[in-house]
Amino acid sequence: MKRRQFIATGAVCSAYFLSMSPERLFGAWKAKDFQQCTIEQAFMAALGTRMPVSSEKITIVAPPIAEDSSVVPVQVISSLKSEVLYLFAEKNVTPLVFKCTLQGNVLPWFSLNIKMKDSSTLYAVVKSDGIFFMTSVHVEIVAQAC
Amino acid sequence: MISSIRVLAREEFGIVQLKVIIPHQNETGTRKDEHGVIIPAYFVREGSVTLNGAPLLDIELGPSVSKDPFLQFRFPGKKGDALKVAFLDSRNELFASETVVQ
Repeated sequence: MKRRQFIATGAVCSAYFLSMSPERLFGAWKAKDFQQCTIEQAFMAALGTRMPVSSEKITIVAPPIAEDSSVVPVQVISSLKSEVLYLFAEKNVTPLVFKCTLQGNVLPWFSLNIKMKDSSTLYAVVKSDGIFFMTSVHVEIVAQAC
Repeated sequence: MISSIRVLAREEFGIVQLKVIIPHQNETGTRKDEHGVIIPAYFVREGSVTLNGAPLLDIELGPSVSKDPFLQFRFPGKKGDALKVAFLDSRNELFASETVVQ
């Protein structure tokens, strides 16, 4: 390949990658939501309420006993009409783990691997028509990894 | 600089299962190295998914997500739909990928 050709291809490639960047700018991430605090403070900061309403229409699928605290698989399923899904881990330094805002007709379901500092309770919170609902599950950590 | 991520989207019975793997060390900022020095926080913070140009998901992640974040989502869709997935980490490095639903 000639040098000139190489430069031309490079320019085309970088133009392609630039056009790939998301149309909407990032910047939704708020340090206030993800601060190091207690679970109540995290609820207050992220939701504006101390204790959301308990609901049986939200399910957390997580192992009751986790072998590896650095990789705990968690699934959250909601049968409520959901706008925003949250996942909190009570004893983590930063209790808010994950937040996702659903648009279009995404199903209120997600799965991810999380780190847990200690055996503690996981809270899944769903915002439905402006009201927060939650459910919780306890996860026991056997081996400490982090 | 745009780093790559692994995106898999497979349609079955009208529902697309989206799997995203971001190769990232995801440091919480509370861990110490062998000399007792705190390793600074460095993790994937935000993400967005669009389907055929329409916004689908806005994702915000905290430092307690595992190393190499593996996220899965489900939404109605069909084969051939265009997906754009982009993530941004705490050092403003962009991770992006485009794929087609299979």
